[in-house]
Amino acid sequence: MADMILKKNALGDFLKSLSGSYETFGPKQEDGEVKFAPVDGEVLLDYQNSRLSPKNFFFPQSERMLEFSADPAAEDAFVMKERPAAKQARLLFGIRPCDAKAFAVLDKIYRNDQYTDNYWFDKREAATLIGLACNRPCATCFCTSVGCGPFHEEGLDVLAVDLGEDILLKPLTDKGQKALDAAGGLAAADGKAAASVEKLKGEAEAAIQSKVAVDKVAERSVMELYEADHWAKVAQRCLNCGVCTYVCPTCHCFDIQDEVSGTAGDRIRNWDSCMSWLFTMHGTGHNPRPDKTSRVRQRFMHKFKYIPLKRGGDIGCVGCGRCVAQCPVNIDVRDVVRDMNA
Amino acid sequence: MTAEDKTNETFQPRIVTFLCNWCSYGAADLAGVSRMPYPPNIRVIRIPCTGRMSPKFILEAFRRGADGVWVSGCHPGDCHYIAGNYYARRKFTLFRDLMNYVGLEPGRLHFSWISSAEGEKFARVATEVVEAVRAVGPSDRFAKQRIEVA
Amino acid sequence: MDKRTEKIREIAKRLLSEDRVDVVLGYGPGTVPLRNAPLFARTPEEADKLIWDSNCRINLANFLPRTKERVAVLAKGCDARNIVNHVVEHQIKRDQVYIVGVPCQGMLDPEKVQQREGRFIESAVESDGDLTVSGPGFETTLKLADVLRQNCQTCVHRNPPVYDELVGEPVPEQTDIDRYADINDLLGKPDGERYAYFQNLVKDCIRCYACRDACPLCYCHVCFVDEHMPQWLGKSVDPHDVLTYHILRAFHCAGRCTDCGACEAACPVNIKLRQFTRLLEKDIQERYGYEAGMSLETLPPLTVYRPDDPQEFIK
Repeated sequence: MADMILKKNALGDFLKSLSGSYETFGPKQEDGEVKFAPVDGEVLLDYQNSRLSPKNFFFPQSERMLEFSADPAAEDAFVMKERPAAKQARLLFGIRPCDAKAFAVLDKIYRNDQYTDNYWFDKREAATLIGLACNRPCATCFCTSVGCGPFHEEGLDVLAVDLGEDILLKPLTDKGQKALDAAGGLAAADGKAAASVEKLKGEAEAAIQSKVAVDKVAERSVMELYEADHWAKVAQRCLNCGVCTYVCPTCHCFDIQDEVSGTAGDRIRNWDSCMSWLFTMHGTGHNPRPDKTSRVRQRFMHKFKYIPLKRGGDIGCVGCGRCVAQCPVNIDVRDVVRDMNA
Repeated sequence: MTAEDKTNETFQPRIVTFLCNWCSYGAADLAGVSRMPYPPNIRVIRIPCTGRMSPKFILEAFRRGADGVWVSGCHPGDCHYIAGNYYARRKFTLFRDLMNYVGLEPGRLHFSWISSAEGEKFARVATEVVEAVRAVGPSDRFAKQRIEVA
Repeated sequence: MDKRTEKIREIAKRLLSEDRVDVVLGYGPGTVPLRNAPLFARTPEEADKLIWDSNCRINLANFLPRTKERVAVLAKGCDARNIVNHVVEHQIKRDQVYIVGVPCQGMLDPEKVQQREGRFIESAVESDGDLTVSGPGFETTLKLADVLRQNCQTCVHRNPPVYDELVGEPVPEQTDIDRYADINDLLGKPDGERYAYFQNLVKDCIRCYACRDACPLCYCHVCFVDEHMPQWLGKSVDPHDVLTYHILRAFHCAGRCTDCGACEAACPVNIKLRQFTRLLEKDIQERYGYEAGMSLETLPPLTVYRPDDPQEFIK
């Protein structure tokens, strides 16, 4: 698997040639914001990141899991059936390394020793990710503090680096190589390109302004972190609105409901948020997280303590900074983790 | 056209009708015992008072596929609970304006004050409402047939 | 430093040291450009961090319901009206809240700034009606007046109608403002077009409920979206459910909404939510002559009636 070079002005043709075999998506500017949308040749290269994370590709906000007939006269009434999924191969171009790392974290969460979430994996396995390294990280980015980086490769199939006039394409998996072979029109990269990449990587990592130490969080016990006295202060201004959970690339909780309409029924999976009081509400009326402080604490503990404990050290946050940018009351995860680590 | 002829039309609208127990429901009963004909397209839900009405009920009726919704109660000043219909009147005014604004077709949502002595008015208004809804056609904007997700 | 910032800190420190209140609720600097954060100052040292500028968008009245403390709240015209509303709706006692009114000339809209000046704003500094934004390779100065939020541009209640203390002098109210030009425009279009407009308006909604949680009016213990038996609407992003949510939430704010814009400011996908609530605001003003939160003595329009209320559409 050798590195390849694509001329930047040939990027459009490269993507067009792939759209024959893949449903192609990439970053586009729509209504003043960056979104991952179907591309037909034209794609945005000069952007920082999308407002919402691309987890929607593998974990849609609302997904029909099963369907059934609710007609009592039907022979198969109330028998749950899967709707055959259109397993169209997809290609996502321009995914940032933080979002790709988030996919890798979610891979570990959606597969454990007892259960594999096929709704996630079917889509994940049918998709090829060509990531775009960040030459210019956002001011809110702190990926290098949480085991990621602007040129990080985990979770990607190909890493693309913008060298100025050229784009370097580094295949990382067989799926990635397959995509590059399908595209054609690429030249082999030389030593100069590799040196450029190293230089850009160094500059990008140095440009990251936010550094957050998490070493003490890893050392301290759960109860020590849980009983710290800064949580009430953080939670004071939290609205429990859930925006952080919805824009976050690693948040993965969901709620399942059946919706019946006439004689048709569907089992639907929707995104859910631990910020809601309903999230932990028991049928008895007891709520183990009855107040705002316990819910806010849970979110940060989950990301920075429980997930690393359960998933072999991987932190549940990839430092993308979206929650920092979108929180209506400016609760900054970097400050919270600094308090946890103090 | 008589009421009979109208039932032979192809489109039979389904109109969810909320009638207050003390006045309009009584009017419906009176229209019935007096054998006054009116189209059978209304489906009645009896409520104690129009003050009980909530915009959630009206929206729910449309979501479930009702082609029209009709709410009827006592005349202002004659409410069995003194002022229920006065509060309802303000709710109806605002909700009707809001639904019109977001694109509910005019002719789908109707309100009336009909006292329990007004059997004839009931039959007449019922006919008006049914014809108005029939003219708009089957509901499609606010009806949720089946969930629309991937 | 803005003169108002100095005065606010002085007032806050005084109220705290005289034990007049337990906490002063104001604004502190945010960690990202063009953003402030609510600041709960409980000591004079914390009060020294309070600031005032054109990013004080959050409606602090949102934090009042169910609080047991004595609170001093920094309130713009719209926020003060929400506090009045809370008192009228018995969500807080009048003597529990000390209103520090701040006559306001508008808060800026970060989206407008973003759209005008590129994508990577890394710093924003205000001074004397100008806003200087800078990022990698650029620095531009804009006029604050050009990037104000839409509700601020059409605001006719910049001065708090009820307050315990005012920061500075009242500002002149804007006159000759047509608050509802675009609403009237919409009303003139055919119903099919209106329906399409609203479907399009909420197509990006992700049902995060940030609008509801940022709104001071939404303080119900159990919101209608969380009710079941019956469940009024689904929880997914089905277009009918999304529209139902926005219609019903707007109706719940009828006669109470002060157009503070907290909903639009909180929305992560920039939905112009006020298009729903402003129709009701206009309707209530025209039909009942009422404006929310202007006086502690007036009751909200849906809790009262007049024998001669309009009913031209009732058969």
